[in-house]
Amino acid sequence: MANELETSFAMTLLRRHNMNQLAFLLALLFFAGGGWVSAQADSISLNARLVLGTGKEKQGSKKVSESIHKRLAKVFKWVHYYQLSSKKLTIEDAKTMTSKLSKNASIKVSNQKNSKVSVSLFSGGKMLLQKTQTLRSGHYMVLAGKSTGDSAWFIVLSKSN
Amino acid sequence: MNRNEIELKVQALVDGELTGSEAEALRQRINDDAGLQQLHVSLTQMRGLIADSELPRPLPESGDFYWNKIAETIEREESAGERAAPPTPASRWLLRWLTPLVGVSAVVLLLTLQQPTAPDLGIMLSGDHELELSSDEIDVMTYNTDDDSMSIVWLDYSMDIQKDYMELWLD
Repeated sequence: MANELETSFAMTLLRRHNMNQLAFLLALLFFAGGGWVSAQADSISLNARLVLGTGKEKQGSKKVSESIHKRLAKVFKWVHYYQLSSKKLTIEDAKTMTSKLSKNASIKVSNQKNSKVSVSLFSGGKMLLQKTQTLRSGHYMVLAGKSTGDSAWFIVLSKSN
Repeated sequence: MNRNEIELKVQALVDGELTGSEAEALRQRINDDAGLQQLHVSLTQMRGLIADSELPRPLPESGDFYWNKIAETIEREESAGERAAPPTPASRWLLRWLTPLVGVSAVVLLLTLQQPTAPDLGIMLSGDHELELSSDEIDVMTYNTDDDSMSIVWLDYSMDIQKDYMELWLD
């Protein structure tokens, strides 16, 4: 519907101002590009990482990014943080996507517009909680709990660039 | 009594300021003294001339009426003063509490009306965080960093993610 209106507007411009064909084509591309950008703006891309926090160093395991390590280590007692899995989710406006982070842990993420996301955490098919918040670039939503031994699990969600 | 004093007495006689006995004694003395007689005659003539030449200045109103008006004005002012007598204790109490109350209310109203709209500093508060738990058995703690760049929900729920992850990886 929006594209029809844009095309109609472009045709009107062409008739009224005697625009040449090249200018008309550029105008058409401009309006079409705007529509594509606006359509993209409604979707959201997120990174969901499953992280293990532990006091023991695990050789060969992938460490989390410096940014995440710094933030988690500032709050929690564990020194080492390893990224067990990472999923990139691109969710259209008002859509929901489910992602399995481990055999038992999975998340269901809903895009509620304007960077507001709703994340539901499931363990073994049972929903534990649902967290809803606006997630801006450079910000993190963390769901965490204890794991075996002196370790903890973290699900770190952030907006991907 | 010297001569000057006697002449002053004659002047007082002409002005009618002497008592009866004083005036009688002085008149006898004037009759015996030619100089005093001449002074008495000239002073009497002078007084007559002055009295005749003086312009009459009648009061616009009679004296009684004039003083009555003054008395009425005084009475009126006194009764007005009585009407503005101190208020009764109840009204005084009301005034004591009502006046500051009205004053404070006026100031508050003025400040409210003049309150500028909050400037937009581009700060988003973390009031949009919502958390729903599916089970009351799970205890949770929430934590937000000072700059709101990281929100944490800590669940009292244990998961063996290493084993789970390995099983997922083997799948």
